[in-house]
Amino acid sequence: MHLPDGLLPAPVCIAGFAVTGLTTWYSLKQINRFSNPTESIPKASLLTAAFFVASSIHIPIPPASVHLILNGLMGTLLGYYAFPAVLIGLFLQAVVFGHGGLTTLGVNAAMMGIPALLAYHLFGWSQRATRHWSTNWSLGSSAFLAGAVGLGLAVLVFLTLTLSFLPAGLDANLERAAILGLALAHIPLMLIEGAFTAILVLFLNRVKPQLLKQT
Amino acid sequence: MIIMIRTLLARLVALALPAVLLPSAAWAHGVKLEYQVTQAIQITAAYDTGEPMDNAQVVVFSPTDPSQPWLTGTTDQQGRFTFTPDSTQPGTWEVQVRQAGHGDILAIPIEGEAATPGSTTSGAADTVTEAPATVAPAASGPSYTALQQGLLVGSVVWGCVGTAFFFARPKK
Repeated sequence: MHLPDGLLPAPVCIAGFAVTGLTTWYSLKQINRFSNPTESIPKASLLTAAFFVASSIHIPIPPASVHLILNGLMGTLLGYYAFPAVLIGLFLQAVVFGHGGLTTLGVNAAMMGIPALLAYHLFGWSQRATRHWSTNWSLGSSAFLAGAVGLGLAVLVFLTLTLSFLPAGLDANLERAAILGLALAHIPLMLIEGAFTAILVLFLNRVKPQLLKQT
Repeated sequence: MIIMIRTLLARLVALALPAVLLPSAAWAHGVKLEYQVTQAIQITAAYDTGEPMDNAQVVVFSPTDPSQPWLTGTTDQQGRFTFTPDSTQPGTWEVQVRQAGHGDILAIPIEGEAATPGSTTSGAADTVTEAPATVAPAASGPSYTALQQGLLVGSVVWGCVGTAFFFARPKK
């Protein structure tokens, strides 16, 4: 679901870099307010590796084949570290796999990273809203919601961008149908990523609960 | 249909009017078929999983006008698309393949001269001319072997793990 080079007009790519630059600055500012900003770097670094590899894990969902994104998971576990982690992961994916591109790095980072930050806040709100439930239910359902919604928002942004900037010379109806088909194939992926986020959060809560706390 | 009419006329001429020579221009339905051998370019589009991009949209841009599409079409079931570039326009031809927001752009350098068209009229000797355009097969994007790709991925992952170890080291 990465936007490749050359399919978006230049102003959109530049705007993408601007939004990404601002969000990176904001995330780093938030991280700097923690008492020990480097404490979560090992966790962020390992999840960057997972995010980097995840895009090459393809799941065939007819008629399309989609790959894991894991941006909701990144947000849930990393909080503000998620945005720089997504940015670095996308840069490496563009260079190593050719997924996405360097000119669209800004657009892709904003498309996946900002939903990751929203997923982090959603995880917190949902946990507070369900605090009268048992710990496992509250954690599990919040993580599922964050993982699924994080990806869902990224798909919505992708849909909006690709539909608004259909290049000239394309059969717009055919391309629109193809884009909608791909977006529909991401609905099962939302469930998969939500479930994966929930399982991982419940597992971490059992073996190393301090990893779920934001410093 | 046109071919059928031509054959019928040919038969009429052969059977009914063997002795009468008519100038071909007098036949309002006379048909002239021409052909020329040119160099075509075949694009094969596949996702990095190896799955062919079938029914993907292809837009071809000529070197003289890179903003207006020169040709549009779709790939077949095997992800293939064939087109014949105009050899009077040497330069870099750009082919954009796109499906559902995924795609790539391929730049094809073509150094050619105008191909001399070979043409046939009924019964005339065939002339076949080949366009001397030269194009080397090429692919877009990085094309590494599985080993290189594996090593790249391994290096990146190890870089991340190393960073994690560095920041997780016990404080003195």
